[in-house]
Amino acid sequence: MNSNKKLFFAIIVPITVWLIPSQVIPIPDLTVIEHRLIAIFIFAALFWVLEPIPVYATSIMVIVLLLVTISDKSFILFQLAADAENYGIPIPYGEIMATFASPVIMLFLGGFFLAMAATKYRLDTNLADVLLRPFGSGPKYVLFGIMCITAVFSMFMSNTATTAMMLALLAPVVALFKEGDKGKTAFGLAVPFAANIGGIGTIIGTPPNAIGIQYLPEEYVIGFGQWMAFAVPFVIVMLLFLWILLLRLYPIETQRIDPRVGGRFPGSRKAVIVYVTFTGTILLWLTDFIHGMNAYVVAMIPVGVFSATSVINHHDLRNIKWDVLWLVAGGLALGMALENTGLAQNVIDAIPFGLFSPLLIVAFASLLAIVMSNFISNTATANLLLPLMVALGTGLPALYDAGGLRYILLTVTFACSLGMAMPISTPPNAIAHGSGYFETADMMKTGVIVGGVGLFLAYSYIYTLTVVFDIL
Amino acid sequence: MMTKPVILCIDDHREILVALKNALAFFRGYTAIYTCESAEEAETVLNDIDQKGYYLAIVISDHVLPGKSGVDFLSDIHRDFRFNRTKKLLLTGLATHRETIDAINRADINGYIEKPWSNDELIQRIRVLLTDYVFDAGLDYNDFMPVLDRDTLYAVLRCRP
Repeated sequence: MNSNKKLFFAIIVPITVWLIPSQVIPIPDLTVIEHRLIAIFIFAALFWVLEPIPVYATSIMVIVLLLVTISDKSFILFQLAADAENYGIPIPYGEIMATFASPVIMLFLGGFFLAMAATKYRLDTNLADVLLRPFGSGPKYVLFGIMCITAVFSMFMSNTATTAMMLALLAPVVALFKEGDKGKTAFGLAVPFAANIGGIGTIIGTPPNAIGIQYLPEEYVIGFGQWMAFAVPFVIVMLLFLWILLLRLYPIETQRIDPRVGGRFPGSRKAVIVYVTFTGTILLWLTDFIHGMNAYVVAMIPVGVFSATSVINHHDLRNIKWDVLWLVAGGLALGMALENTGLAQNVIDAIPFGLFSPLLIVAFASLLAIVMSNFISNTATANLLLPLMVALGTGLPALYDAGGLRYILLTVTFACSLGMAMPISTPPNAIAHGSGYFETADMMKTGVIVGGVGLFLAYSYIYTLTVVFDIL
Repeated sequence: MMTKPVILCIDDHREILVALKNALAFFRGYTAIYTCESAEEAETVLNDIDQKGYYLAIVISDHVLPGKSGVDFLSDIHRDFRFNRTKKLLLTGLATHRETIDAINRADINGYIEKPWSNDELIQRIRVLLTDYVFDAGLDYNDFMPVLDRDTLYAVLRCRP
């Protein structure tokens, strides 16, 4: 399908859904507002899947459509039926707009500030050099070292920036490999996969995590440290598995490699401010249970410190990835609308999920998430699926009583990061594929194995933590 | 799909233009190559590009041209805010010391290629400039992945947390 056809299709389907009579849609007592919201949801799904326009633009359009059609200040023609009994509950316009200043967005802003400051003062490359040293020069161990460092960095920086940095570090090393050495493939795949997996490690590691915990009800709030305590062991197991798998599939022939990247640590006053703030913020995040500031509040501290000290100046401010923030905000607005209008609940009620075992539902939902995240943006997958999972988790007594809300939410959240079988699956996959170190088939083979094992591990690990022991 | 960014080549010798076009076949499918035989002709093409809303990524110009010189033409582009992101290469074998200084100071050229050139070197240079241009102009780098310069790509992406 070319892009014009995609655009036409993605516009005409939601409009058709909007125009058909409410009675045709198999959901009882559908209100006018819910009907419009279904059309908007289909619009979002088609646009995020087919991508006739960039994903962040779809997010912005979702916010605009929500405001114009179902807010309490919607266009006059959309309010004609407002007095009718079946009109439904309009959403306050301010609430829709406020999603762009929601705690999750601020959390990411804080993460961006930390990462930008670290890059600007070369903390990333210098730290990578220091951390890589203990792994020596044996290729197997260097491979593991590279994977660990990539994973740790991608917990705090974007997975894309981490991948770019590590590939730049590897380029001179891999250039010395002999023609036909499969080690190239091992290193080329290790970096993007470790970045994808590492992103699961913290709530700022990748947007799906932050979106996931945003949807947890208040009694199950998960703090920064608490998330790490359960997600990092998962990351470590996955890295070990990936390491062994890569060595098996792509043995490295080169005997000795010596990656050296770092230079001297800058010692200016601003650089010291970066070191102290970086360490301090992470410590504050990990100790949220002592000082009372949650992860969102702590995230604003580096924003304040770096702005006040001009570590991040007005020029750097423009380089912030506003598109990522908009992408998340649009998803949150959609999720909020699904919940506040009661549509999500009505949809879940209309489908006889009660007939299926809760475990089967979680298995199916997470499988859907990993398949979708292989083809479309992980954040868009989270935007579409997680609000439905909340409704599913709360609406099904059998699932809810077994602690299933957290189970389904967290498993699906993990699954959103595990789709990595193709170059288009994630930006790290795309840029690593561009390096030419491996064929697409290698990425598919390894990606399917890693994704499958990861999904199964997440499925059983989170089940043990939430349902069996109820410790999360 | 995307509109292909334009690479504009100017030289008064047809065979040079043909040779350039052949060398730039590497970028086929990702960029459109336009050729002109004089600066005056190129100016018409520039207006056309601007009017149609195409991206002018790179201009490769010879210095010795009938009418307006290559350096004068490139410095015009440098001052033209419609093309302030466009990368400029001077391709010549006959520029004097003075003209070379002018090219750097007045036209702010991004590179100097001597005739006869090596195709590999030319392609490599253009890959780097195209990578910079793609990010400067806010295009989606995924659309250009196979023809981008890897080191430049990594460096830019690393700085975008």
